[in-house]
Amino acid sequence: MSVPTAEVHQFAAIGRLLAGIVHEINTPIGSIFSNTDVILRSLEMLDPLLAENTPESLAKARRIVETCHGLAAVDRIACERIRSVIRGLKTISRVDTGEPRKVNLNEHLRDTLKLTQAEFRKRITVDTDFGDLPEVECYPQMLNQVFLNLLVNAGQAIEGEGRIAVRTRAEDPYVHISISDSGRGMTPEQKAKVFEAGFTTKPVGEGTGMGLAIAREIIEEKHGGSIDFESSPGVGTTFHIRIPVRQTRSVGK
Amino acid sequence: MTQNGQNGNKPTIMIVDDEEMVITSVKAFLQLETDYEIRGFTDPEEAATFAQSNSVDVAVSDYLMPKMNGIQLLAKVKQAQPEASRVLLTGHADKQSAIQAINQVALFQYLEKPWDNAQLLLVVQSGAERARLFRDLKEKVEALDTANSSLKTVQRRLIQAFL
Repeated sequence: MSVPTAEVHQFAAIGRLLAGIVHEINTPIGSIFSNTDVILRSLEMLDPLLAENTPESLAKARRIVETCHGLAAVDRIACERIRSVIRGLKTISRVDTGEPRKVNLNEHLRDTLKLTQAEFRKRITVDTDFGDLPEVECYPQMLNQVFLNLLVNAGQAIEGEGRIAVRTRAEDPYVHISISDSGRGMTPEQKAKVFEAGFTTKPVGEGTGMGLAIAREIIEEKHGGSIDFESSPGVGTTFHIRIPVRQTRSVGK
Repeated sequence: MTQNGQNGNKPTIMIVDDEEMVITSVKAFLQLETDYEIRGFTDPEEAATFAQSNSVDVAVSDYLMPKMNGIQLLAKVKQAQPEASRVLLTGHADKQSAIQAINQVALFQYLEKPWDNAQLLLVVQSGAERARLFRDLKEKVEALDTANSSLKTVQRRLIQAFL
């Protein structure tokens, strides 16, 4: 299986997240639009009030200025929200160059979580427990893609409300990342086929059945790491990924 | 357009969204443009409790919220305040499920985020006016009912007197 296939799959995963992202951005944009309107109207009202120069008009002017301050503060929070979503998108859309890079995987997990949060926010609580990690020599975008896939899967495994836990630990010479969900879990038959290309439990159009096959290729073939899982029906699923801190072998071949 | 609701009070507008920023923005805007009483709630359950014991003219609610979605909330508002105009203000991603549920609560208006202030104002003003007209109508129907039943009493007495 070649990398272009992985890229196509990545687009599919992002496509599923886009609806959530649109919603996540529309709320702060609505606020900023409205606040700008109000601030402009308020500024128009200020001049005549100051010109009037009576205690009442000045008190009213002060109230207007206070309101504008409050709205500007909201605008700031709104812009912050949009920026964090865009930052997540940027991370995911970058392409790996030929050589592995040294990165902090906690930061990459945080960025990927920002993307999924748009979809999970009101339904799923995400608990993170990030240990101190050494910088890992890897293809970060490929790993982001694996994280995104596992997180989207975890979210889809949960019907209604639930929890996802993301944990990282340094376990020399590996970094250990685990992603758990409180979802429906897998039957023994499903467990046996999880990493098979084309196997999916999702309706047509929601899953390509390629995600975990590609994840395994990226972790094992490209990074010399390991990916495995535990799962019981009704309890949930935990995926464990171990990536060597240094690439001692010739990777990517 | 008169801006007086029932009992000569200002119309009460309820804004419900789990995002504080939406409430802050909408509240600031409506306070600038109207003399309505604006009440904001980030918790739909609190909003439902408020509607149980307070007069509400227009209820504007987000769709996706923890604990209770906007349709469930507006259904509760409808039960407690049948005359209130119900408005859904929601993000694009919720549209499909929202439209399916619209008929359940006889929605007055559906607005999408990012919302347009001029449109929001129009919806809130006409919603408040509609609620006032409904209340007036209800009062008149009640007055008619009372008049009708006293007429019937008089009629019964007349009949009894002549028989």
